Amino acid sequence: MNSAMKKYINNKIVASLLGLLTLVSMVRCSHDYPIDEDGLLITGRGSCYVSNFELLGTDFVSVVTSTTAIPATSTTPAIPSTRNVVIDTTALTINVEVALGTDLKNLYPQFTLVTDAKLDPKITGKVDFSDLSNPKTYAVISGNRRVRKEYTIYVTVQQ
Amino acid sequence: MKLKHIYQLPGFLLLLIFAVACEDDAYEVPQAKREFQNDCIKRSLGPNLVNNRLEFAYAMALPKDMGKIVSAQVEASIPGVVEPVITNGTFLEHRAYSTDGGGNDKAVQVADPSSTEGNLTKVTLTRDTFAVTLRYFYKIPQEAKGQKVTFTFSATDSNGRTVSMKMGPYTISAMDMVLDSTVTDNTEMYISIADMATYTAAQAAAIPDKIDLVYLYRALVQQPAPAPALTFKHALVAPAADPVYLPGVTLPAGVNKDTKIIKTLNLRDQQLARLQYGIFIDDLDFEKLDTSTATNFAINLKGEAGVWVETADRQYRAYVYINAVNDGSKNMRISIKRLKMF
Repeated sequence: MNSAMKKYINNKIVASLLGLLTLVSMVRCSHDYPIDEDGLLITGRGSCYVSNFELLGTDFVSVVTSTTAIPATSTTPAIPSTRNVVIDTTALTINVEVALGTDLKNLYPQFTLVTDAKLDPKITGKVDFSDLSNPKTYAVISGNRRVRKEYTIYVTVQQ
Repeated sequence: MKLKHIYQLPGFLLLLIFAVACEDDAYEVPQAKREFQNDCIKRSLGPNLVNNRLEFAYAMALPKDMGKIVSAQVEASIPGVVEPVITNGTFLEHRAYSTDGGGNDKAVQVADPSSTEGNLTKVTLTRDTFAVTLRYFYKIPQEAKGQKVTFTFSATDSNGRTVSMKMGPYTISAMDMVLDSTVTDNTEMYISIADMATYTAAQAAAIPDKIDLVYLYRALVQQPAPAPALTFKHALVAPAADPVYLPGVTLPAGVNKDTKIIKTLNLRDQQLARLQYGIFIDDLDFEKLDTSTATNFAINLKGEAGVWVETADRQYRAYVYINAVNDGSKNMRISIKRLKMF
């Protein structure tokens, strides 16, 4: 093989490598994963539920009441204090009792959702829960964005 | 010429750079300027409230062989308040301070106590001094409220040379502040934001239009466990609030204002709380306050909590900070900042 031919083959190899590199770069630039309208990843998860719920007052302190713990006696075991939030994932309800004197017009709800799920509408600030006869509803949307469940929040005020 | 060793040249140059860069310059004590100089800092922080004091530290110095400092003075654009006890009002220190090993101020007297006439506060040095820092306190007068105040610090040396420095302008807050009022259940339980004072029922009956808040303490009957704890305790409630928040209270005739209240926690303004927290409520906080959805009661208030308040006529906005609560004597100590909105 003469030197001119060697040079030609070398140039060919370099050009091929460059072409391959460009192709790889182009492929890498495309989106591998689908995202929704909020820029959130759409995953394969179909679970759709609320795992915890909290309500904060204007002072950012929880307004949810808790039962008083009962100490153990010689015949009965101790009963610990529990928060008065009942989340029913079948009936899609959240029953919450708030303390006497809670300012229902200015509450910050906090939801804990299953992995990859999202909430609709989004919580952007204070929410008015004062109309107890028209309870608020929030929808949970699953990670694959195919399941949507409307939860209703029933607030009662401690008497 | 053969360029056989040309590739070794960059390495050699790099080594040379390292060798040069590693050389340490010997430290030299900076030479002081051969002139009379001064400098000033403002030491006090936060909104500048009427009857509070601004504090500055004014430093002046000249080389020892060039003479001594003869006098120092401060000219305020608005005369400060002078008190009978000079150190309680506007004054320029006649003592220089250094800090001892325990962190305490150690004073050295360098001049006679300052004199303030009108805008001018002055000290004449009585001790040979070529470098000193003097503190200046300016007690803000009522007439400066909402205005800007500037200060001109100046010093004169024994050669007649003068140095000076301008500080400011500083905006004087339009807020009012009252510290440590005590409200007690069933006695001094009526609060007027307009007067920034507390009243008994009899006094409140005479000025019902000025009563914005009612203080009360209630210990509610607790249902047996596991019923949740029912707490009312210390409360600030508008006279027009739902009577459920005024249990056992008979309001004096005409006391009926619907004051707006927003409960807060951990907003420990340094001027109200006088604690270590570097938080200051300023005029802007009141101007930007959104009371559109505010309620008219706040119960179960704790020490170091507070409430934002807007009077029913919207003329005043205030922040009532709770310095301390006492369940036993059913009272609480409050401090108030207030801004007149129009």
